Amino acid sequence: MEALIVSNILLWILLIALAFVVMGLVRQIGVLHARIAPAGALMLDKGVTVNEPAPQVTAADRNGRPVNFGYPGDKGQLLFFLSPSCPVCKSLLPAIKAVAKERPDLEVVYVSDGDPDAQAALIREFKLEDARYVVGPEVGMTYQIGKLPYAVLIDQPGILRAKGLVNSREHLESLFEAERMGIASLQDYLHSPDHAHGNAVKIHQ
Amino acid sequence: MPLDPILIHACALALAAILATAATHKLRAPRWFVAQLEAYALLPQGLLKPVARLLPLLEGAVALGLLLPLSRSAAALAASALMLLYAGAIAVNLWRGRRDIDCGCAGPGESQPLRPVLLLRNSVLLGLALLATATPLARELGLFDGFVAIAAAAVLLLLYAAVDGLLTNAPRLLKLTGR
Repeated sequence: MEALIVSNILLWILLIALAFVVMGLVRQIGVLHARIAPAGALMLDKGVTVNEPAPQVTAADRNGRPVNFGYPGDKGQLLFFLSPSCPVCKSLLPAIKAVAKERPDLEVVYVSDGDPDAQAALIREFKLEDARYVVGPEVGMTYQIGKLPYAVLIDQPGILRAKGLVNSREHLESLFEAERMGIASLQDYLHSPDHAHGNAVKIHQ
Repeated sequence: MPLDPILIHACALALAAILATAATHKLRAPRWFVAQLEAYALLPQGLLKPVARLLPLLEGAVALGLLLPLSRSAAALAASALMLLYAGAIAVNLWRGRRDIDCGCAGPGESQPLRPVLLLRNSVLLGLALLATATPLARELGLFDGFVAIAAAAVLLLLYAAVDGLLTNAPRLLKLTGR
């Protein structure tokens, strides 16, 4: 009897440990999925070209200050195109704010269009009162933005370095990676002959 | 039908923990839950907020009731009703063909589309709740019985979490393999 009880307790403990291991494995697979899924900011093949001078346009921000886009300056620019009605844009705002804090050499400009009340609510919710926030269609039309959330990276001399549809923090980071490597987009990287058939990357397609 | 008390205790414990976590993730992200209720498109606009406020409190109360011997069978009945309600909400939206909305089953950040599998998951939970409504067989309970009940509940919970993770991963895997 004693031996049976001891064996039973031992079995229960081992079963709990096993269930823990299974749960842990499933969690790890989940993390892997989350990491694999984003392949990089998707660049739609239209609009302004990467590694060319960015189109120059000037617009007033919410406080009436003029903001120059695409002009040479002492700071690079990150343009983040968003809309208050787009939930993905909202989920990316903390990441954009983190970039603004981390990169003092970069001027982060939020560009949006539409209902002023919704803009004000969004600005209050995410504490963007002090950020450069442009409301108006000019910039989006100049850069031919068709999908949101979209980000454009312009360097100090006014050259457009990277752009793309950004749906996650990883997509956003891929823009900086693209700027650093001088490659327009992940699609370019994969389709360029040096890389696609080299042993640097192997992607099953 | 009288059942062995260990079985009933284990079911009640596991169900209480599942309901309590469901209640906390709803309470911690109230805005997400309102949006979730809206996505199911079953309630008029005016009722969304009060229901979103009330439902997690109800879940918490049922979880607490499951832990107390006096209220256990009543709480288990309430839990079965909740599971039926959720299954009904999923079934209605599946019948409408709205497979693209988020299930909202495992809290924010664990999104998964509505699928018939989720009905199976709910019926398993319903089974647990129905087991917990049964009257326990009268017998002496020792220390070892308590240990077995707690251990069984822990295994149930861990397996539930693992199955939930697999269900969340399945659509991502499908997307990855491109089928």
